[in-house]
Amino acid sequence: MQDNKIISESENNAGSEKVLSFALDLGKSMVQCGAEINRVEETVKRVCFAYGMSSTHVFSIISMIYATVIEKNGKTHTQMRRIYSYAPNFDRLEQLNSLSRKICKEVPDIEKAAQELKSLFVKKNPFRPTVCLGYIIAAMGFTVFFGGTLWDAVASAPIALVIYLMNAYIKSTGVNRLFYTALSSFVAGFLALTFVHYGFGENANMIMIGDIMLIIPGLMLVNSVREMLCGDIMSGLLRLLESVILSMAIACGFAVAIIIGEGIF
Amino acid sequence: MVANEIFRLIFSGFIGTVGFTLLFRSNKKRVIISSLGGAMVCAVYVLSCHFFESELIQNLFPALAATVYAEIMARVTKAPATPILACSIIPLVPGGKLYYTTYYFVMGENELFRESLGALLSIAGGLAVGIILISAIVYEFNRFKFKQILDNE
Repeated sequence: MQDNKIISESENNAGSEKVLSFALDLGKSMVQCGAEINRVEETVKRVCFAYGMSSTHVFSIISMIYATVIEKNGKTHTQMRRIYSYAPNFDRLEQLNSLSRKICKEVPDIEKAAQELKSLFVKKNPFRPTVCLGYIIAAMGFTVFFGGTLWDAVASAPIALVIYLMNAYIKSTGVNRLFYTALSSFVAGFLALTFVHYGFGENANMIMIGDIMLIIPGLMLVNSVREMLCGDIMSGLLRLLESVILSMAIACGFAVAIIIGEGIF
Repeated sequence: MVANEIFRLIFSGFIGTVGFTLLFRSNKKRVIISSLGGAMVCAVYVLSCHFFESELIQNLFPALAATVYAEIMARVTKAPATPILACSIIPLVPGGKLYYTTYYFVMGENELFRESLGALLSIAGGLAVGIILISAIVYEFNRFKFKQILDNE
């Protein structure tokens, strides 16, 4: 009798650990896809609540998420996840959203839920044609938006392609993010100057700004201010600092390209 | 502004947003909706530039419009609002300003740096305030509705 009780209790414990683990994995993948912090924290809370935790305490910033759940019998469990890389992926964000909704509604077996989460992350070829097309179209659009001519837009397209290829094949190797950003801006700036020098495109400035829009963390800056105004000051500050530092790296890359370009041409 | 110029802004804003919706890997069904949002934001921006001087106010109204549009479209297409909002706000995101600000800083052009830093802050602030105004109302409304459902049960 005593033994049975102990076994069932330890099984229950393992269950809570699994629920917490699943909730944090879900939250981590949401942060990685570009969700807002307060939404992530709310999702983790809702999932834990759905699995019968009496209270949940979550804290998340863009580089980490951790949570403590308190069971109805007073036992507590704490886990954390470190978040290293993130890139906007709204399609996956939508899938995660509907998964969390479904789980809160149906409350399936936790193993099954974890498997469903895992099935969203199928490793694919790093080259994605639609994303590549997106880079090219966006660069062309913004070149014209900032006052470039049609020829400038055409010239910005191959540079966007180069930026995308670097993004897909170099960034994923885990190279230092600042160094990589500076390098890709240097390459983009130098290519733009070279193109204009050989008569492909008219205004190097306009070609550059079109391609800069692809790498500059402008949306991140707006989101950081928004998060700070919403009360998530910690993660807002981190995002703000990161966007400023990244744009410093971009400015340095382009400055070096411009200085070298002026020397050569 | 000349009609030609306005058309160029709106059309290129639309094309740029199409690019970014693909770049952000949005759901394919949402590409056209988000991009039309981008074009609409450009149009509202041109309008509010016509009426207001302050850069903060000029960016506030397009942000309001984009958030309302995203919330409506999210309800119509049964999708989360954030991706639609993030895509349609793209033409106003101060990427160019952010670049020039840091570029002047790196090159040591202090006058220009200070000037564009001020503009950058007011643009980012205007956009953020515009987004928050609407999303706070929507959030409170949702919570109210949710609470009612709980009470009924």
